[in-house]
Amino acid sequence: MGIVELHNVRKVYTLGKAEVHAVRGVTFSIEKGDFASIVGPSGSGKSTILNLIGCIDQPTDGVVSINGTVTQGLNDKALTRLRHETLGFIFQSFNLIPVLNVYENIEFPLLLGKDRPGKKEMREWIEFLVEAVGLADHMHHKSNELSGGQRQRVAIARALATKPQIVLADEPTANLDSKTGQSIIELMKKMNAELNTTFIFSTHDTTIMDIADHVIQLLDGLIVEDTKKSAKVGSLS
Amino acid sequence: MFLTMKVAFRNISRQKKRSFLLAGAIAFGMLVITLMNALTGGVVGTIRDNFSHALGGHVFITGQEWTDAGQMIMKIRPDENLDRLLEENATQIEAFTRRSQAMPTMIFGSKQTMQMLYGVDFTEEDKLLDSLVVTQGRLADVLVEENAVILPQPVGERLGVQVGETILIRLETLTGQQNVGELKVVAFIEDQEELGLSAAFTSRSYLNTLLGMDQHEYQILNMFVTDLSLVDSFARIFREGLRTPDEGEEEAEPQVAVMVAGVPLDPLAEAEEITPWEGTRYRVMHINQIMEAVELVVGVLNRVGLVIFLILLVVTMVGITNTFRMMMIERTKEIGTMRAFGMHQKQVKNIFLWEATFLGLLGCVGGLVLAGVISLIVGNITFDADPSLQFFLNQGQVVFDVSLASVIGNTAIVVLISLLAAYWPARAAARMSPMKALSSHT
Ligand SMILES: Nc1ncnc2c1ncn2[C@@H]1O[C@H](COP(=O)(O)OP(=O)(O)OP(=O)(O)O)[C@@H](O)[C@H]1O
Ligand SMILES: [Mg+2]
Repeated sequence: MGIVELHNVRKVYTLGKAEVHAVRGVTFSIEKGDFASIVGPSGSGKSTILNLIGCIDQPTDGVVSINGTVTQGLNDKALTRLRHETLGFIFQSFNLIPVLNVYENIEFPLLLGKDRPGKKEMREWIEFLVEAVGLADHMHHKSNELSGGQRQRVAIARALATKPQIVLADEPTANLDSKTGQSIIELMKKMNAELNTTFIFSTHDTTIMDIADHVIQLLDGLIVEDTKKSAKVGSLS
Repeated sequence: MFLTMKVAFRNISRQKKRSFLLAGAIAFGMLVITLMNALTGGVVGTIRDNFSHALGGHVFITGQEWTDAGQMIMKIRPDENLDRLLEENATQIEAFTRRSQAMPTMIFGSKQTMQMLYGVDFTEEDKLLDSLVVTQGRLADVLVEENAVILPQPVGERLGVQVGETILIRLETLTGQQNVGELKVVAFIEDQEELGLSAAFTSRSYLNTLLGMDQHEYQILNMFVTDLSLVDSFARIFREGLRTPDEGEEEAEPQVAVMVAGVPLDPLAEAEEITPWEGTRYRVMHINQIMEAVELVVGVLNRVGLVIFLILLVVTMVGITNTFRMMMIERTKEIGTMRAFGMHQKQVKNIFLWEATFLGLLGCVGGLVLAGVISLIVGNITFDADPSLQFFLNQGQVVFDVSLASVIGNTAIVVLISLLAAYWPARAAARMSPMKALSSHT
């Protein structure tokens, strides 16, 4: 059983009287440790699917199961807890908390939980992450003092702070130039390999999609192709 | 908890100008109410001091008795019971005076004037002479001649009399007969007229003879207590200790209604249907009874101040609500992000509420500092105001006195109103769907 399972998932948005069928019956499974990519043209339903997996939206129909938990019928509190315990997020526009510095942004998800690690343990872990994303020299900078690439690196570290099972990234490179975007995907891949964290990211950039070992292709809210590469491609060497 | 507080605290300095304006508006309200409280609080203290000074005490005891002719007169005879009370409570008494007093017409040549005259036992009141400021003559001479008198300088000028000369006084005895006497002027003193206290002093024994009293009798016993906050209970000790068995218990706190020449007079004394009694009946009054009227006015002023304060705050509240609504929109994406990472609705709400609290506290501190600075500056100006206004001033200066309780109370009101103003935007922010918040474009 996959760490993320979608079964016949539909999502219908109502815009006034009009109905928008964003996802029209999607079934797939993502295994633990996958570096998965959801690709497709604009409007094909990538964000919608990531939102459903990310428990910030609920399907109209079908079953979404995250780490064995079916999200259907869960109230806001339970969904919030599920997000905190199993998920990390990376956003297209970085979404760092502007009033917090690099260290504090990474620490932020850790402080939300009830059972936190010890102070020393926490600091060492955050420092490890800062080091891993290559921002040891920028620990106390605010987000407006960082470049886009640097911000996204902070976001990657933040997404990993709670050691989540799954990290979701909706077009993490869309706001970056292709070279920086490439390095961000490579960093994600590195963390995926090192920590065995499942990454699911969306993109419409085919060069970036190649690095993934599991590619789900969408068109108009339906899967057109679901390929798993047994031999992992694009590993850093 | 600490996380939400930290984020809230940082958010305050995010839009410095906006926070400054809001906190400034709150500070203004706080400034107004604090100055109002401080001013009225200070005035109560000042008026109490000035009254005590003018009346020569905090607690006043008079005695009334009936003559054989059926006339009520005001005097206190030597009384062992009273002496015992004075002795027993000596530690609570800072100083006391036992004086006679009259309002005679003073005549010198063709000029005359009415003047308050105290009959003082100068050996008992050994500090009095030191407290007077001589402008001419020698104070110590009052001890030499029995009918010596110390006059306020302006009175001397009005009469055209010099030190060493003798003036004539005309007065009524206790029983209402006309009497005359002679007083020898030994010294002039600076007048304290600004406190309503223009007093001449002569020896009690001499004034007593003119009033038709024995040498050891007197009319009013004034006491300064060491601890003004205990004045009520102190007065009660004397009131109960001096009550004669046949006296009713009803008048626990006699109302002070009429004051003549600085002496509180009991209006009932003039009432018709009073049956004469044997011996002396005492009447014990204290400064707080007189202050009640002042405090009533001050209470009204403070309430007016509170209303102004609340109106200012309600106006500010509208501003806070609008600002918080704006902040909520500006931070939509940020809220979505925090929610995605597992922040609960309640925590989002708390960020906004903490922000409101900090803003309110910031405003309060600002207002208090401003009030402190203003009262320090104004409090150091000596006003050369009209004498009648001097009663509200302490040696020409405005006294500010604000109680910690009122500061805490006002701060609580500010914080409460800030919280109230921020509550709905905070709730709306918390209830936003994380998905919608994240897809917003702000
Ligand atoms: N909140 C919403 N309300 C109404 N319609 C929506 C909403 N979110 C998405 N849609 C619609 O659902 C469809 C799928 O949108 P989605 O955002 O998932 O596409 P996407 O693949 O992420 O596109 P892009 O590459 O542009 O981000 C689109 O037609 C979109 O207009
Ligand atoms: Mg999208």
